[in-house]
Amino acid sequence: MIPFDFEYYKPQTITDTIKLYHDLDLMGRKPIYYGGGTEFISMARMHNVYSEAVIDIKGIPELNIHEMKDNELIIGAAVTLTQIAELNLFPLLSLTVKRIADHTIQDKLTIGGNIAGTIIYRESVLPLMVADSDIVIAKKDAVDRLPLKDVFNKRMNLEKGDLICQIIIKKEYLNLPSIHVKRTKVEKIDYPLITMVALEKDKKIRTAFSGLGGYPFRSSKFEQLLNSNKSNKDTKIKDAINSLQSFITDDLHGSSEYKKFMLHNMLYEALENFEEGNK
Amino acid sequence: MNINSQIGVSTPRKESWDKVTGRVKYNGDIIPTGTLHGKILTSVYSHAEILSINTSKAEISSGVQGVVTSAQIPILTGPLIEDRPPLAKDKVRYFGEPIAIVVANTEEEAERAVRLIEVNYKPLPVINSINDAIKPDASLVHDSLGTYTCDADDIFPKAHTNIVDEINIRKGDMDIGFSESDIIFESTFKLPQSDHIAMETRNVKAEILPSGKVVIYTSTQAPSSVQKDLSKAFSIPESDIAVKVPLVGGGFGGKSNTFLEYLAFIASKAVNGKMVKISNTREQDIMSAPSKIEVEATLKIGATKDGMIKALRSRYYVNCGAYSDSGPRMARAIASECSGPYNIENIYCDSLAVYTNHPYVTAYRGFGHLSLTFCIERMLDKLAKKLDIDPLELRIRNGISPKDLSPTQAKIKPSNIGNLSKCIDRLKELIHWDEGSIVKMANGNIRAKGVSCFWKTSSSPIDASSAVILTLTSSGEINLNCSVVEIGPGTKTALAQILAEKMGMDVNKIHVKLEVDTETAPIHWKTVASMSVFMAGNAIINAAEDLMTQIRHIGSKVLDCSPADLDISNQRVYLKDNPNIFIDFKDIVHGYKDPLGFAFGKQIIGHGTYFMKDLTIMNKETGMGYVGVSWSVGAQAVEIEYDPLEFSYRLINAATVIDAGKVINPKSARSVIMGGMSMGLGLSTREEFIFDDDGMIENSSLRTYKVMRFGEQPEYIVDFIETPQGDGPFGARGMGEHGILGMPAAFANAISSATEEEFDYIPITPESIWKVKTGGKYDTF
Repeated sequence: MIPFDFEYYKPQTITDTIKLYHDLDLMGRKPIYYGGGTEFISMARMHNVYSEAVIDIKGIPELNIHEMKDNELIIGAAVTLTQIAELNLFPLLSLTVKRIADHTIQDKLTIGGNIAGTIIYRESVLPLMVADSDIVIAKKDAVDRLPLKDVFNKRMNLEKGDLICQIIIKKEYLNLPSIHVKRTKVEKIDYPLITMVALEKDKKIRTAFSGLGGYPFRSSKFEQLLNSNKSNKDTKIKDAINSLQSFITDDLHGSSEYKKFMLHNMLYEALENFEEGNK
Repeated sequence: MNINSQIGVSTPRKESWDKVTGRVKYNGDIIPTGTLHGKILTSVYSHAEILSINTSKAEISSGVQGVVTSAQIPILTGPLIEDRPPLAKDKVRYFGEPIAIVVANTEEEAERAVRLIEVNYKPLPVINSINDAIKPDASLVHDSLGTYTCDADDIFPKAHTNIVDEINIRKGDMDIGFSESDIIFESTFKLPQSDHIAMETRNVKAEILPSGKVVIYTSTQAPSSVQKDLSKAFSIPESDIAVKVPLVGGGFGGKSNTFLEYLAFIASKAVNGKMVKISNTREQDIMSAPSKIEVEATLKIGATKDGMIKALRSRYYVNCGAYSDSGPRMARAIASECSGPYNIENIYCDSLAVYTNHPYVTAYRGFGHLSLTFCIERMLDKLAKKLDIDPLELRIRNGISPKDLSPTQAKIKPSNIGNLSKCIDRLKELIHWDEGSIVKMANGNIRAKGVSCFWKTSSSPIDASSAVILTLTSSGEINLNCSVVEIGPGTKTALAQILAEKMGMDVNKIHVKLEVDTETAPIHWKTVASMSVFMAGNAIINAAEDLMTQIRHIGSKVLDCSPADLDISNQRVYLKDNPNIFIDFKDIVHGYKDPLGFAFGKQIIGHGTYFMKDLTIMNKETGMGYVGVSWSVGAQAVEIEYDPLEFSYRLINAATVIDAGKVINPKSARSVIMGGMSMGLGLSTREEFIFDDDGMIENSSLRTYKVMRFGEQPEYIVDFIETPQGDGPFGARGMGEHGILGMPAAFANAISSATEEEFDYIPITPESIWKVKTGGKYDTF
């Protein structure tokens, strides 16, 4: 039960949507963009979000694109996790989204919502981070294509009313050797203790994580240490993990020490797998 | 004229079709026009003085019809000790405690207004653990303990402490027991507080009619207790209170106390008796409504080198949370059954129920037996290991049997207990025990089997009773009316089977009233303690005999013979010597009209009752007494696969063999045992409340409070032994709760074997194994 009333809008173009948002905002309606609705519904019933105007963005054609075009994969922000998993154009992303919540929720969750949501894990951003993805954002007066790394720092850094429209991944990244590992406290379906994606490009391993600390991240220092010339895998991994010392936190899912232990094993297996693949 | 047996047959539940097609209406599904909605404001502190409550903004919020705080209802409630105000008065004692209710036209309006109530708190020191509670200088959860009214004679709260009650068992001589022992050791155990998580959250509708009649529509396991409790709390004659209960979506003990019913009544009273609905959200049901006990215990055991247990000294602490409810009775159940299903001649036990600033507790599946089973069964496995005796062989050697005495010195008789060694033997076959309890696999993993036995008795009040009424349709079929609540396991279908068997008729011709209405149904104590089939089943047998006496009587007049010449089956009464001479029920049960135009006889109605036999309260010094009419025993096993590199595990198999006395409905019996096992594995692997330093629950939603999910279940193996219970209906004995009892112990035994460590607590997560195995530091390898 949502204990407040709100208006519902479903605009059909990006321009209308942006204008609508700013108009409603001026009127003090505290508008929000609405994709799959899972977060809004579950948070509204607990009084953790409030809005008097909900703007459903699922009617906008550009946000529903899901195709290869000019050697790039374009995924609209309103595409659901299930659609991504089923079309499977970027296997690492498919693997990742198939382990977010359960199947029923994956039918509702949109990739834009998962990336921009409040819940800190935002696991679908991890494959995009290691694949140097771009993101298309509609702003008050322009639509910009920007490198994800310029706008995602801990979370999406958007200005009020900015709308994530699309995610673009270059074809060369789609089928590189890659690994997705998700570890939870106990259950298969849960928030991550650690979710790791790793992708090998130009003989260098790139990694991104969720669950270790308060937000998804990719660290160049970490990758540098992980890709060092040291022959002993354990040493390399330990060096890399030690570089994250202050970042890894205790939470309800596990202690920081346990996360480090788990991360070590995950990395070890990942390095072995990549080595195996290169033989 | 014989009909196939109606028991021992997997009869589909009476409510199955309506349930699987979604047509069944649970209490919350029915909202009559004009119903108002109540929302509860709960405490954000676990212990604090309430300096002020300002409801003025809430009162003028749109749609609001009334706001209630404890100021309007200065009463205390509680089944044993009257220590709990339905709405917190002067101070709050747990995080989530109800403080005020807003009644409004819609649920949304009530929820909006409840947020406008301003409460000014002054935080007090928090009793956040059993250890905090028993410190000599501990601050008190209840300053007035000692002056509270006690509704039971046999409860002894200690004034100026946090100790609600202490139960002692003194049997034999500990000095002798330990002096006869070759090996003595001690261990400490811990089982955390957790929640019932019934699928249907608690919900109630209440109205007070202009005539003064109070009608409560609720999801409860105890309709007549609700009636009694409201009567007592608000000084309303019981006869003016009607409690109506449709099918209930799971109880597990959590719906055996009166909780939300008080609040709904208060809310209705605040709006001139209009119907008010109060329905818990999942989060409120977890943190605000009563939960499961926490237990800490230390056990010291002595045994000879051939494994005969000579002495057991145990001390249990039961955390009741902020209010006593039935917590002390679970402490008592633990004490009275503290030996487990083993014969121990020298046994002392102290079991203390204590207050803390945690959510208060009520009955939970197993009623304390789960906790004592965990402790004693871990001890037995340790003993087996130390003495290098097969753990199941050790259990057989010590198994309790007729002529032995229970810890309360009740006589064990062939007719009141199941056969433990038969259960163990069958378990051994089912889990291939002879293939070894530890197997190293090619991939480096370890398969380990852990075992546990269990016993449980009913621990009911000594005057618990049940009754049924049977009426007949004009077609000669029977309506069965009793106050057993259908909470999920198909109890009422089993009762129909018992009646069908006794009457020698088809179970499909028995019609069970699934809903309970205290205005028309006779009293059944509570649908708890796995006693419904036993108690109501016995009442049914008596009722059927009553019915048959009346039928034979009129039959003898119609057929012109003596009643003793007649038999009954297939809905007809006939001559024993010549079954071709008969008269159908339909022609006599509403009076007989003969072909000549005479009419005689009368409408036939059967009734039957059951009253607990020979139970006594426990002696205060020694614990001597008869606390239950029977003991159900069983043996269980869990097989896990352990990964020694990751310290993780998977559940592979879980098995239960229980002596059910007589299985009435095999498929229902199997599913209720499996359900218990699944709950037990949930407790073993994940379920617990996590409290922060201020006593607030950190995992009060299903995002973070974890229960077993469908895809995580092991293979379940369930089988039955049938050693008839002397006074059970067709020999049946209780088994509704029992699947849960030994699962945590069997699981912990399996994990302990696989890891070669001792796990004396639950839940056991991969991280907790990692911690034990590595010391909990990443750098150490």
